[in-house]
Amino acid sequence: MRVGVLGIGKTPHKIQHSKSLRDLIVEAGRGAIADAGVSPSDIQMLYVGNVGSVGFNYENSTGLMAAHHLGVVPAGAVRVEAACGTGAWALHLGVVAITSGLYDTVMVVGAEKMNDLATVEATSIIAQAADSKEEYFSGLTFPSGVALTARKYMQVYGLTEEDLAHTSVKNHHYGARNPYAHLRFECTVEEVMKSAKVADPLKLFEVCPMTDASSALVLCREEILRDHPDKPQVYVTASQMATGTWYASTDTLDDAYRLFNEPATRAYAMAGVAADDIDVAEIYNSFAIQEPLGIEGLGFAEPGEGWKGAADGSTWIDGRVAVNLSGGLLCKGHPLGATGATQAVDIIEQLRGTAPEGIQAQDPEIGITACRGGPGAVGAIHIYQRLEGE
Amino acid sequence: MTVSAIEFSRLGPPKLRLYGMRCSGCGDISPWWEKFHCYKCGNDKLTEVFLDGRGTLTNYTVVYYPPRDFLGQEPYVVGHITMDEDVLMPAPVVDTALEDVQVGTRVKATLRRMKLGHEGDIYYSQKFVVDPDAA
Repeated sequence: MRVGVLGIGKTPHKIQHSKSLRDLIVEAGRGAIADAGVSPSDIQMLYVGNVGSVGFNYENSTGLMAAHHLGVVPAGAVRVEAACGTGAWALHLGVVAITSGLYDTVMVVGAEKMNDLATVEATSIIAQAADSKEEYFSGLTFPSGVALTARKYMQVYGLTEEDLAHTSVKNHHYGARNPYAHLRFECTVEEVMKSAKVADPLKLFEVCPMTDASSALVLCREEILRDHPDKPQVYVTASQMATGTWYASTDTLDDAYRLFNEPATRAYAMAGVAADDIDVAEIYNSFAIQEPLGIEGLGFAEPGEGWKGAADGSTWIDGRVAVNLSGGLLCKGHPLGATGATQAVDIIEQLRGTAPEGIQAQDPEIGITACRGGPGAVGAIHIYQRLEGE
Repeated sequence: MTVSAIEFSRLGPPKLRLYGMRCSGCGDISPWWEKFHCYKCGNDKLTEVFLDGRGTLTNYTVVYYPPRDFLGQEPYVVGHITMDEDVLMPAPVVDTALEDVQVGTRVKATLRRMKLGHEGDIYYSQKFVVDPDAA
């Protein structure tokens, strides 16, 4: 399977009080359309990933609103929602739309505008992406549910909090070099350890900020991109989805492993590559513990070993596989519906060789994104390859 | 968690007693929210079974940034309690200093005010305290 990436666009990821949800969508969307060199009328279908506009922004029908303001009417348009996996799901539907043969050119947008509300309100809205009615009756929140996973991981594999802190140090090293990132500062293990407690054992530097952003892609049939040899020849070569545990309390470490490992195994087979072939990876890490879990699920390390790469250098830019050179969600922030699309755009920039200075890997050819959502409910894997002259 | 008064009438009262859902197929007890089928074996015959209210704290976190309905209680402990009937319950652990909360502590359920709804409605439910009989 090959789906051409004709164009990409994204907004800065930060708090943007001067911009509305539609401003962000149009900024990213127009960027992708311009990069693709198409006109809005060439777009035949629009998938808009957005988690919480009803709550965050008091507006609904985000897909239809986006179609109007992007000027892609009368293309079909729909809003896509799958918790934090939303942007990746929008991408999956875009890929399916092309590979089905129904459409030649489609657009995928991910967007979230989270900072119009106070933190306590936004936290409550985010909690609705899990079982807010029953399980969260107990006082759990998203951070605290993941904190329980972190403590479990530490107990089972004998880790200290300092061991886990290396993941934040690595992400912030690169986030500081990404002009599109929300948090742009470097930190040490000691500074991670001293940062404010959010949900014990998770600390502030191990938790993503709430961010306003949008990212967009224009996808096309393989032949269309082949007909434009002047454009970077980057293709989506695998797209695989999975569901897992809906409840944080009954989500085991084995469940967390399977959430990525099963779709990743299918994706490697689909693309005809192996885990060892991957040069660059963007792995969901709204909380630091999720990065080692993702590294293990993708087959880059054995269960219980995924945290070591940030400490020994093997997941840094010149390591065996470069993980989260964008700074990850820990630095970019986690604009819920945008995140999966942003991961895709970041990897495509890497394969095009257009990532910002200081975070561009050395000539990568194969990249992967792993996005997850809900306590352990969504796993989404995409593989991308630069295929010049084939 | 924002709920309507009508939803409150559905959600609130069942939480006054501590219960799990026993599967007639595999016999395992699942948390109370598994109403439709056993998530372990798939059997859809489940019956409520009241729990004795004692268990062991097997995992915990301290919440410093609560959702709106728990505002004012922070920082508070939410634990995973493995009940003596071998079912996991997430619930607040109260009346204990944060530094004294430990994995392995024996705890028992107690009926408390859990939180406030957005219309001023008061939710009562089971929280847990250190079991004084366990020492």
